[in-house]
Amino acid sequence: MASASLNLISGATLISQGAEAKVYKARLTSEPSDPAVLLKHRFRKGYRHPTLDGSLTRARVAGEARALLKCLRAGVNVPGLRMVDAVEGVLGIEWIDGQSVRKLLPGGAGEDEDGASEDDPEDADSLNEYDIPVDILMQLIGQEIAKMHLADVIHGDLTTSNMMLRHPSSFKSRHPTLSTELVLIDFGLSFHSSLIEDKAVDLYVLERAFSSTHPDSEPLFASVLTAYEQRMGKDWTAIGRRLDDVRLRGRKRSMVG
Amino acid sequence: MQSYQLPHFPTHLSCVHTALYTDVSESDLLRKRLITASTAEGSTGERERDAVNFAFIEARLITSVEHLRTAVYQAVLAAAQGGLRTKTVHSEIIWALNPSNNISEAMRRYGVSDTTASLVVVRIGGPELLAEDVERDMDAAIKGIKAPFARLEDLTDWTAVKKYHKLGNEVGIREVKDNPERERAVVDGIVVSSVAMKSVMG
Repeated sequence: MASASLNLISGATLISQGAEAKVYKARLTSEPSDPAVLLKHRFRKGYRHPTLDGSLTRARVAGEARALLKCLRAGVNVPGLRMVDAVEGVLGIEWIDGQSVRKLLPGGAGEDEDGASEDDPEDADSLNEYDIPVDILMQLIGQEIAKMHLADVIHGDLTTSNMMLRHPSSFKSRHPTLSTELVLIDFGLSFHSSLIEDKAVDLYVLERAFSSTHPDSEPLFASVLTAYEQRMGKDWTAIGRRLDDVRLRGRKRSMVG
Repeated sequence: MQSYQLPHFPTHLSCVHTALYTDVSESDLLRKRLITASTAEGSTGERERDAVNFAFIEARLITSVEHLRTAVYQAVLAAAQGGLRTKTVHSEIIWALNPSNNISEAMRRYGVSDTTASLVVVRIGGPELLAEDVERDMDAAIKGIKAPFARLEDLTDWTAVKKYHKLGNEVGIREVKDNPERERAVVDGIVVSSVAMKSVMG
């Protein structure tokens, strides 16, 4: 008999697939009132030796789960964990009802990451629906990344696709003027580090993502940085200086000599 | 009593029956009975073990229905994979709730104690186990008043939950300490996630 987690996946709806994992929407119990969960399945890689594959999968599932818990404890808005099956490589995460920031900003809506056009009417949400001005959204992004970096978590893949806004209809906001919340998602490439270099590179990756996805986004990213700077306080000086260095040389440090 | 299914699991683990009891009295006797039943021999022992074949959980340490269901899910998953760290799927639920790996600490904190006043009771079984029979056996084992799970959140001892999960000094908690409603939601979020990832906590 197949394992429980594979049974669960076989009845789930596929949301997207990458090289590393497939993402599904599923229900863990028979109760219709129980909220749906997002399943991230790091499937078996036939090109790796089974023993190595198993231990890599276990380590990565554990790493992603630990990063999420660390963020939750530090007050960073991330989805909560619902189940972990390290043996099968399945992570069950809180389902966030909402939309990725990529699709809500100009330039990000039309096409998917691989350039294919998308005309799913469900994805036609606009920023109006979330009742949030663009500059406030940029502030939220800066603040959330700063909170994460203050906890020494490096995301590793900061893009506007890896940030979501909760849909106001299914989210009970406790904020006086905002009816939504920014959530950072996909901690699959995250790691723990207190190095200025790693934080600066994290920001640089996001800057490049902004400029390649959203046209004329320089002022947008500038307000992300302003909010980040405010939240980081005294730590900003060194990171800001390092970010300038990284911009000149790119993400990778030269290893000459 | 509330029953639900975990349809993806082997049938003998696929049905979950849960109930909440408040105003529980004689919890000291219940605790003694559990200890005696676990070591009693012969057919009397078998009968006694059957009569109290439940997970008895300290309700004041449960923050939400989702918290309970997450612990049940992870315990059943461990049982299905042959990865139980304790003797039964019921004790595994209690183990899953406690943040540390120490089994006797888990039983002391999250199991029934002499001062327990409200209890969550869980029975895992197959479809042949009828809900009426489970409910009858629960009522026979516990002296208390059955309550709807909506009451669970009023019974939670948030100070104890924060202490056991070592949340006192976390940034995420300190930022919201002026807003009790928000603080509870944040604590619940952390606690549910901790239970879900306990198997890979390391």
